[in-house]
Amino acid sequence: MGGSISKMMSKIFGSKEMRLLMLGLDAAGKTTILYKLKLDQDVTTIPTVGFNVETVTYKNTKFNVWDVGGQDKIRPLWRHYFSGTQGLIFVIDSSDRHRMDEARSELTRIIQDREMKDALLLVFANKQDISGAMRPKDVSDALRLETIAKNHTWKVEPSCATTGEGIFEGLAWLSSNVKVPAR
Amino acid sequence: MASTLAHRPGTNSTSTSGSSGYRRGSVSSFPPQSRSPSHTSARDGPTPTPRGFPPHSVRDSNDSSNSPSTPSHDSSTRALKPAAARQQNRRLKSQYPADSSEKHVEYILVASFDIDRGSVMEHQYPSPISGDEHMLAALMLPDQAHVRSQDWTIFFLHKDTTTEEGAEEEAEKQEEKAQRRRRRRAKASRDDTDTQGDEARSFGDTDTLNDNEDDSGSDEEDDGRPEGPPLIYVLNLVNTKQDNTVKRGAVVKAMAICTRHSFLHIYKPLLLLALEEYFRAPVPETLASLYNAVNAMDLSLMPRLSLFERFILQASDAKDLFIEKFDQMIQQRMAEDASRNSLPSDDPPPQVLSPSKSSHKRYALPRDTHEFESRVLYNSVPVPIKVPTSLSPETVGDFSLIKLIQAFSTPHSVSPVAFPHHPHLTTSGPYTHPIIVLINALLTQKRIVFLGHNQPSGSVAEAVLAACALASGGLLRGFTRHAFPYTDLTKIDHLQKVPGFIAGVTNPAFANKPEWWDLLCDVPSGRMKISPKIEGVPVTEGLLFFQQQSSTASQTGAMGASTAGGAAGPSIHGAITAAGVSLSAGLGGSVGGPGLFGDPTGDNAFMASLLDSINQRHGESAIRSKFRLWVLKFTRLAAAFEECVYGASALYIGTTAASSPSGKNPKSDAANPGTNPALEGHGYVWPDSASKTRELAGNASRIEGWRSTRSYYTFITDHASLYERRPIKTLDLHHQHDRLRFLKMPPAASADIYLALCAVVASYDEICQFLTVVPESGGGLFYLSLALFHPRPDVRDKIRELLERIREHEAGRLFWAGMGRFAKLAVLRRQREGSDGTK
Repeated sequence: MGGSISKMMSKIFGSKEMRLLMLGLDAAGKTTILYKLKLDQDVTTIPTVGFNVETVTYKNTKFNVWDVGGQDKIRPLWRHYFSGTQGLIFVIDSSDRHRMDEARSELTRIIQDREMKDALLLVFANKQDISGAMRPKDVSDALRLETIAKNHTWKVEPSCATTGEGIFEGLAWLSSNVKVPAR
Repeated sequence: MASTLAHRPGTNSTSTSGSSGYRRGSVSSFPPQSRSPSHTSARDGPTPTPRGFPPHSVRDSNDSSNSPSTPSHDSSTRALKPAAARQQNRRLKSQYPADSSEKHVEYILVASFDIDRGSVMEHQYPSPISGDEHMLAALMLPDQAHVRSQDWTIFFLHKDTTTEEGAEEEAEKQEEKAQRRRRRRAKASRDDTDTQGDEARSFGDTDTLNDNEDDSGSDEEDDGRPEGPPLIYVLNLVNTKQDNTVKRGAVVKAMAICTRHSFLHIYKPLLLLALEEYFRAPVPETLASLYNAVNAMDLSLMPRLSLFERFILQASDAKDLFIEKFDQMIQQRMAEDASRNSLPSDDPPPQVLSPSKSSHKRYALPRDTHEFESRVLYNSVPVPIKVPTSLSPETVGDFSLIKLIQAFSTPHSVSPVAFPHHPHLTTSGPYTHPIIVLINALLTQKRIVFLGHNQPSGSVAEAVLAACALASGGLLRGFTRHAFPYTDLTKIDHLQKVPGFIAGVTNPAFANKPEWWDLLCDVPSGRMKISPKIEGVPVTEGLLFFQQQSSTASQTGAMGASTAGGAAGPSIHGAITAAGVSLSAGLGGSVGGPGLFGDPTGDNAFMASLLDSINQRHGESAIRSKFRLWVLKFTRLAAAFEECVYGASALYIGTTAASSPSGKNPKSDAANPGTNPALEGHGYVWPDSASKTRELAGNASRIEGWRSTRSYYTFITDHASLYERRPIKTLDLHHQHDRLRFLKMPPAASADIYLALCAVVASYDEICQFLTVVPESGGGLFYLSLALFHPRPDVRDKIRELLERIREHEAGRLFWAGMGRFAKLAVLRRQREGSDGTK
């Protein structure tokens, strides 16, 4: 019953729900972003064993954010989280130029999966506070987003998870671009 | 009696996955027992204490102390009557002989979470365990280990999993062949031919003797049955330690103990110590010292109990039951010590000294015979250990049924949520109690997932283990073998290939995938959900049979229980009370009048009595024994169902007593069961046929669902081997006792039963078998003692003699003690009358 009331409320006030999946190579900053979103504070994170999942409400949208560990051995598990995902947040360590190719090949595999065909793609060009970090344009070029995500709505958002810079802007973009409200 | 045995797997048109899923029946409920006594192990490293010496299978052959009319089937455990004789009698064997080649713990593993590579195995001792190392490491580091500082996990390994499907299928085929053979044999043993019976008996005399009362009964070995390898149980502890000196601020490490013992929880304190030690000294030697310490654990003074003795012990709360056996083990050991000390040439002196010094301390009788106390010396810390004396099959670890039941009962009682209809699961309509839905799902081999998001993985593991025990009741098997107490997404592809499983997960992604499960049990919320994608139920002969029955019956207005386990029709009123009474009385529950309406299965009444019991703090063992009775009743209903629908049942083996060559039928007129057709009955007892039909109809759907499962097929074999080991085969004790309990009988009829019981229950083993039928929770000897007031004097005398025999019995004395004062006085009075009569 509680559920049906909140559904009614959401119809009246136009709030929506959105399921997000946050992936990226290990140590890109996924968990830090998640807890910045959730608690609006900088938490010291340790490597994620498995996953974290949190609900975050921002501007009338309830985001259900899944943050899945990024070590290469556990990347094959990512696919189990695809179905029902409306937005993919792919987190890039912009200071780690050596791993751009690795990031691109992982992102390609995800975004071209059949179950992800309708998902929005938000790329956080994270760790902008580190000097020498790649700029958003460099990141999108390095990932060849024009090619690999040509069937998706995508955006690269410069971010710094520890300060929160760019994080909420990214969410706002997802919220305003989501087509079908989540059920 | 029908000449064909009705079990026809084909009749079950859809034994789709079920029968093929029957694989690798668990070796035995008590894996560590099958040890070769003569094999001396070469232990790694020095064992601190000398561990006794080989209990050679010494068996003195002078059996004559037994009454000649009773062939003994269980050599090691009988005859204690004259205390003196007992000492020289059978040498008791240890459950875990000191010289066994099997180790308590087979492997110690350590894994850690590498920030670059994910879960990796760090060390394995004494050697690498076979199988996928990464898979193992991932299991050892459960999801979200990083959010809690400590987590216990349990999982099982099927050693040889690397040989994969091909071998498994082969094993299945052989298994099925063995099944068929066994059924043929079962049928043969029911045929009234003397030769068959003789063969069976001599079989019992020799093989059972040699093999003792091992769980993997002699006939199974005889069939060359390729059992699956025993499971390896893994107890795992993971610790997450924040550490600013390392990259990314934390170290996550896990240590696991791999053992064939189902009581793996005893190793918890050791694992705590050892993992702490490993954080200090991350070297293989840390593993080695734990390995040597646990394997030096001495359980050699734990006596081995026979099957029936184990049943009795499990059903009883008495703390000194079978204490005589513990005493005898100590006597034997002291005799051995003495003889060894008198032969100093054998051992160098220091080693001789140490056991005798500590002997006083070590050789103490247990405070509670349900547990054997020992200790493990780890890093010079003595860690006390308690090992259960009698293990039920499918009981792994230290779960709590009460916890499981309460977790899912409370939300249901506060605000019940209707289940979508499924004939196997919702056997009491949309508001079937979730625990009943769970047990139905287990019995009909569904895919069950326990989900505990944000909970330690240990909590779902416990729920899974409790669920296995729930549906097993210590009788059915095949649940733990397909249980995955903790698992995660890495195993999902493998899990999808298992037909029917019980899995524990903490990842809520499972909730979004209803195609992965049939029943989802959410532990934190206490809610269950039937998958919208669950497979339907085929129409079977049995369902049609009861559909017809019920339609004709409801026309006549006699009854209206709906078939297929659906909601009960509104017209059930008249005769239902009787069935309800018999049921809840049978389960030791209180009968609530109105609660019976619309409860053709009796499950609502059962759950009510169960919850009542929990509220009155009756304790875990009381709850377990209630489920045992529920499962026992279910199997008896299934047997009656098969006989009803298919003409005969694979679940019933019995002799038609008339010509069975038991060779020990006393020639005392009416007491000979063979001559009295009234004593040939068997199975479940109903007061009238209407209540029988109604109850079977209520259960029809789940019985049919059960009939194609692994647990069903294993039960048939278990049942057959249990029958082989029964000292009393001519009489269905349970059936006869139920008749005394539930039926109103004229004195002549009850006299027949009483005299028959008195005639067959004489030896130690026979009394053991009888005592399993009269658990204290079911009134104990009460119904027997009623015969002390029987109108016929010969019945009164015989019953007095029987009660006296029971009083002299090791376990029987406790049953005697539990008997009413009034009955005891009556025995004394009869004794006096008897002696007066002789004068």
